[in-house]
Amino acid sequence: MLQPPDVSLTPLLPVLIVLAGALSSTLLGFWLGRRTLTFINLAATLLSALSLGTLWNRGVSSFGGSLQADNAALLLAFVILTGALMTLLVTLDTAWRARVSFPEFDAMLMYAVTGCLLIAFSGDLIVMLIGLEIMSLSGYVLATLQGSRRAEESGLKYFLLGAAGSAVLIYGIAFVYGATGSLNYAAIAAKASVLAPENTGILVGGALLLLCGFAFKVALAPFHQWTPDVYGGAPTSVSLFLSTVVKVAAFAGMLRVFGGALADAPGWHAVLQVLIAATLIVGNLAALRQLNFKRMLAYSAVAHTGFLAMALLGTPQAGGAALTYSLLVYTLMTAAALAILAALQRSEEGVSVSDLRGLYHRHPAYAAALAVCLASLAGLPPFAGFFSKYLVFQAAFQNGYEWLSVLAALSSVAALVYYLRPAMLMFMPDRTPAREYAHGQRAPTTLTVTLGVVGVTALGLLPNIWYSWVANPAIWTLLVGP
Amino acid sequence: MTFTDWLPTLMIFLPLAGSLLLLVTPKRFRDEVAGFMAALTLGAGLAIWRGGGSELFRWDWIPPLGITYSVQLGGVSLALALVTALMSFIAILYAARRIPNPGPMLSLILAMETGLIGIFAAQDLMLFYVFFEDALIPALLMLAIYGKSGRMAALVKFAAYTLFGSLLMLVSIIGVRYIGGSPTFAMTDLKQNLVQGPAQTWLYLGFLAAMAVKLPLWPLHAWLPDFHEQNHDSGIPDVMGTLYKVGGYGLFTFAIPLFPDASLELRPILMGLAAFTALYAAWIAFGQTDWKRLLAYAGLSHMGFVALGVFSLNETAVIGAMYLLAFQNLYTGALFLSVGMLQERTGSLDTRVGGVMTQAGALGGLTMALWFASIAVPGMAGFIGEFSILLGAYQVFPWLAFIAGITTIAAAAYALSAFQTTFWQARPAGGLRVPDLVHTEWLILGLPLAVAVLFGVYSAPALNLMQPAVRAVLTALGGN
Repeated sequence: MLQPPDVSLTPLLPVLIVLAGALSSTLLGFWLGRRTLTFINLAATLLSALSLGTLWNRGVSSFGGSLQADNAALLLAFVILTGALMTLLVTLDTAWRARVSFPEFDAMLMYAVTGCLLIAFSGDLIVMLIGLEIMSLSGYVLATLQGSRRAEESGLKYFLLGAAGSAVLIYGIAFVYGATGSLNYAAIAAKASVLAPENTGILVGGALLLLCGFAFKVALAPFHQWTPDVYGGAPTSVSLFLSTVVKVAAFAGMLRVFGGALADAPGWHAVLQVLIAATLIVGNLAALRQLNFKRMLAYSAVAHTGFLAMALLGTPQAGGAALTYSLLVYTLMTAAALAILAALQRSEEGVSVSDLRGLYHRHPAYAAALAVCLASLAGLPPFAGFFSKYLVFQAAFQNGYEWLSVLAALSSVAALVYYLRPAMLMFMPDRTPAREYAHGQRAPTTLTVTLGVVGVTALGLLPNIWYSWVANPAIWTLLVGP
Repeated sequence: MTFTDWLPTLMIFLPLAGSLLLLVTPKRFRDEVAGFMAALTLGAGLAIWRGGGSELFRWDWIPPLGITYSVQLGGVSLALALVTALMSFIAILYAARRIPNPGPMLSLILAMETGLIGIFAAQDLMLFYVFFEDALIPALLMLAIYGKSGRMAALVKFAAYTLFGSLLMLVSIIGVRYIGGSPTFAMTDLKQNLVQGPAQTWLYLGFLAAMAVKLPLWPLHAWLPDFHEQNHDSGIPDVMGTLYKVGGYGLFTFAIPLFPDASLELRPILMGLAAFTALYAAWIAFGQTDWKRLLAYAGLSHMGFVALGVFSLNETAVIGAMYLLAFQNLYTGALFLSVGMLQERTGSLDTRVGGVMTQAGALGGLTMALWFASIAVPGMAGFIGEFSILLGAYQVFPWLAFIAGITTIAAAAYALSAFQTTFWQARPAGGLRVPDLVHTEWLILGLPLAVAVLFGVYSAPALNLMQPAVRAVLTALGGN
């Protein structure tokens, strides 16, 4: 008797809705304008987010556990979709100024989101890899799409280094398979603790190669070098997408692999803490020296990678909750800050920090919103950035990485300085003519910014709104699947 | 739950509500609304005092993280909150008079008042941290909006020092709870789950970093003179900045109960640093020719005294330290405002203006009286504080008390010589005529002075308020 394959499409629902949006952009692009398609995609994103609710607490899986819609996947998918929604809203305003306003842009964006969701839903390394590749390939195209020398350079750099990262990652997957004989997270986790000594070395090697591959994707030093050039060179709305959605998805993959499958594997913790320490130092010190606001935000994204990755050093229970909380907050504040930048910059090169002087007197609402985002990025209460910083410090501290918490605290001082400078310049009086784009204040961008600012304020005053969803430790003990 | 239980919460958040209300108030009524909200806050504080302090109010803010909203205003915290409310009210009175279109300034004063009262009321370490950082944002904005040309450097320095300390404190706070094994960050729980052994010392050092910056204590004081020098000439942000020097209070309320062994262990070093700060600051103050820098160093010198008292762990000295901490806010703040009035009249903050007394007798007289309070002339509130500190510190380390004692002489030297060159001597030929105090200016300088004199002569109400609180804290040390 042939067993019918375990194909249930219910757990795939959120992914399929987004994919439908991507396909509609691909096909209907021949007949419809881009704005219409973007609205379709916005609807698809919202629908997909709603469909997450229907799957909550059901723990369904498909393809024999290769794809699982457990609560962890749903929470991470929610963060990804939030970022995607904000990106789409921003592109409504700025894509035409960046000369990327054609249907293919939307199609690529939605394919990338599909890949991102697949990573969050993955139950084995192959699905994770497929998701990662869909996401990365679409990302390369997005970074290059503008057709300017800067964008081409940015895209090519992204592609070459991203491809190298993928290669390392695949090699790592091969090692892990070699050591444990399985690609499934649960099976790997079960085998990892009872390995024969000769296989342990292979598993450690595989874990480290996976770590390097992921380090490329999330931009952990010393694998971060592509980040400032790519984020700085790509159109700002694309930088927004890459630094929020794509990074969140890569972290989702890391959480699945290192918090789940390889949680008990030896070796990688020690290397990860060194990478994090290097990222915190390099990212924050480099950001301190930037004169261009966009490039500064790129380095700040690198520095934040360091903070976020600290959660992976915690126990999966504490770390998973801390990471998911922080990822949402990170997405909200980064997306809102970049949305304001995208609206107010004159060219895709961004604005220099000193050009922000007196912004409050010209665009009071955007300036105040940007100040809130920067305060949150710097980790000042009452904004949510503070709680995410506290949660990751706590996750690392509890698991015995006290020195890393202290280092992170000290490097946050540098972070404060580079966030503070633009934030304060905006409120200073200024008599020189405005240097920003005068007509940038538009409804969709304003909506994105409002979402971000209200989000970080509400999550800062009442963190429980989001934290109570992620707090249940049971979600994170089952990262590998039941 | 009765109304009185809500009073501390009301007192904390009334100013913030006022601050937000000002954003939508028409320009014409902003002064009145701000003044009304500040007066209401002060009224709430007086109502708490009348009831003899409030009970602990506790609400689980973020249950999965064990963070509670625990507030209580009583004893030392109530005294400090009352002084904060009074000085914020006075700062608003002067801002309304002095600053054209004062909307943002009034908003920021009120926003900062919320942070400050919150700091004093918080009985949960995370809540304390949140208010501690909250007060920073308005302080930075005041400097950014109203500061002088060198403000960016001053701003970055101020913020970097503050965060350097407070982030280390954050790590410490996390450690206090997890190493001690307390279920929440509330003080009542933390006190029952004290950290023992060498870990306590390390955590204390992390906590100390934040409090030493905010005291400030040498060598972490470098942000202070620049902060005051670059702030608006009126001295209003300086009043708020003075109130923000909460290091002594933080050490008293949180550090002594949570790190009793470490406090005793590090006592000699810390008392030495405190005595040195007091003397060193007085010495530097003597050489200043800018009134604001001079006042900054004078304030630093007072804070050295406060630190000496707190670190000594002696009951008399700790009471003195809290007394001084509360009342120096009055006269240091009022002195900053008097300097602002002087600047408005002479256009300069220099200490060598000359002859102001001959034309503006009331300004000169009130300033001199405030200086007498500041240099601890008997009969003023400052004297009771400084004398108690020296008396208590003497019982612990006589030599350090002696070194700190010299400071009181140095204080008279720097204060009176600067006063003499500004207010006496001859008015330079061709100098503008200096008008005397008008309208509310009388009240702005007179009210703090009156309170300082009142509590210098009749200290019983304030001492009765503080003494039980200090005793309660010091019992954690096992009757030492």
